[in-house]
Amino acid sequence: MSPLGFSIEQRDCLQEIINVAMGLASDKLARFLNTFVHLQVPSIALVGATAIPDEFEHRYQDAEATLVSQGFFGNEGVRGEAIVLYQMDNAHRISALLGYEPGDVSEIEMLTDISSILTTTFLNGLAAQIENSLSYSAPRVLSSRHSNVADVLKATSFHWEHALKVDISYQLIDHSFNCDMILLIPGEAVSNIKTILDRILEAY
Amino acid sequence: MPHLSLSNPILAQLNSGVLVIDDEYRIRYLNAFVERHANLALSDVIGQSIFNVFKDLPEAWLKRKLMSVLDLQSPAFSSWEQRQYIFKLPHLRPITSSSQYMAQNCTMMPLHTDKTEHQLICILIEDATDAFVYQQHLSRTLVELEKANRQDGLTKVLNRRYWEEQLKQELHRARRYQHSLSLILFDLDKFKDLNDKYGHLGGDFVLVELSSFISSLLRDSDLLGRYGGEEFGIILPETGLQGAVDVAERIRQAVADYPMLFNQQTIRATLSIGVAELDIKQHFLHEDVIRCADMALYNAKRTGRNRVCSFQAGNTEYHKKVN
Amino acid sequence: MAMPVLICDDSILARKQVRKSLPESFDAEVQTAGNGLEALQILRSQEIGLVFLDLTMPELDGIGVLEAIRAEAIDCFVIVISADIQPEMQKRVMELGALAFIQKPVSDEKLGIILKQYGLI
Repeated sequence: MSPLGFSIEQRDCLQEIINVAMGLASDKLARFLNTFVHLQVPSIALVGATAIPDEFEHRYQDAEATLVSQGFFGNEGVRGEAIVLYQMDNAHRISALLGYEPGDVSEIEMLTDISSILTTTFLNGLAAQIENSLSYSAPRVLSSRHSNVADVLKATSFHWEHALKVDISYQLIDHSFNCDMILLIPGEAVSNIKTILDRILEAY
Repeated sequence: MPHLSLSNPILAQLNSGVLVIDDEYRIRYLNAFVERHANLALSDVIGQSIFNVFKDLPEAWLKRKLMSVLDLQSPAFSSWEQRQYIFKLPHLRPITSSSQYMAQNCTMMPLHTDKTEHQLICILIEDATDAFVYQQHLSRTLVELEKANRQDGLTKVLNRRYWEEQLKQELHRARRYQHSLSLILFDLDKFKDLNDKYGHLGGDFVLVELSSFISSLLRDSDLLGRYGGEEFGIILPETGLQGAVDVAERIRQAVADYPMLFNQQTIRATLSIGVAELDIKQHFLHEDVIRCADMALYNAKRTGRNRVCSFQAGNTEYHKKVN
Repeated sequence: MAMPVLICDDSILARKQVRKSLPESFDAEVQTAGNGLEALQILRSQEIGLVFLDLTMPELDGIGVLEAIRAEAIDCFVIVISADIQPEMQKRVMELGALAFIQKPVSDEKLGIILKQYGLI
């Protein structure tokens, strides 16, 4: 049970909505990239935002990581910041995937593109299910190869109360890689989300 | 609805570009900002391909971005930090900049409209030239700050701290790869008298002049640093004692023959120079080499100034004097 | 006579959504399973006419269930329900013997069309 007091039904509802959103994003991406893409969400967790830096420090300790952040805003108080984290040794696979020739665009631009695509297609799928619509700010790179992941996350998550951690497993036809997505949301968004989930549950 | 009639005047005055194209890249609309900056009229270009009207667009890259917007029905973004501009428009910012073109942040959004058969994309162009210019300024400042950390404020040669660091590294390298390494330490002769005669400004002037002059006599790999008030050191990697002595003698001669003009007066200076070579058996720390060069320098002063002395093993006169 | 139907999905919400989206005219006796293994247990021990199958489930996923159904020659119709309906996935699922593919989130409309198309209502 999460510290934010989501009931089992609410949590199940949220997990399903997220799975479906990821599936919709998979579908769209596959058609766009003209390859087989499978995005799975093995787990989601709701945590206090201050717990985030430590959670990720471990996983990204020895790897060079890049973080891309994008703000999203919708109706009914649904808003937040989506951060996608990549391990840099995956970077070249992403570039081939997006159809870039090596040296076509900078690594940073390529990662910003794929992050924006992942974030917006996923969140759009989420919004569609809760009868909402979202607009987005431009993606920004929060760190690069040389910054410390935990420090960057501390500076960002400081402004938010809660975080929804979404582990994304990104499988391509030949190989797979993982990236992580963190949705940072303010306190009032959590109660709004609960209200929305209840409304959906009531319909069934 | 009243607010719809506001969009026209707003679009006309908006300080950002608004461009609408269809899925065949034809222009459907552009606002006054674009008209003014690109020096064109909507009525002349409507219906034409955006690539015909704006000849410098990165076509392949832009098509790929626009395609993603249409396929995924999600916005795409471009930041001036990755690509300075998409539309080559002159900027009208009242600041000097190395670039005469507007730096841009662009957003490409799918427009949901049932009315047309073609899908539409809206491109928003935000003038980010200010940010671009500030960033350049900041970068330049950072470079200078970095240099300042290494430089001696007056003479612009390496400061003592950084120079000693380099000596440590060169020592380590020389020991490791069994290369030779030599050190020159030199001192301006009778600098106090020079200061008394020409004032501190004169003294400073001489230091600046000579540093610059001596720098020009050195190889790229040699490292000149200010060790003390009027004392300097030169690290000569891959150089043996004889080679270093030759360099030292050349510098001594050149400086002695170098007249400097200060306040309509000619100043001549001379140097006392000590030279030492790294002895792998004896020198383990950089201070060890400095000590030897320093002894040689002391000898140069003691034996008449304006000369070069090299450290000979077994030379104990320095020790006698100090103790 | 009521058609025995099995709804297989690890999400409570999804199961409810399918149940609610079944047309009024469809006389069904509905059972549910939370993962592939549970589903197979039911399929092996009872007569099930129609299965609504999710692809991503723990223990045994949708593909696993389809493979088992074919291998054990279990007689039932399978309609796969998934958010991800990429051509590759659809192809694979149909090759494994599924009747149809519906994209989540389900609705009465979507279900109605498919059931009518295959003469189940």
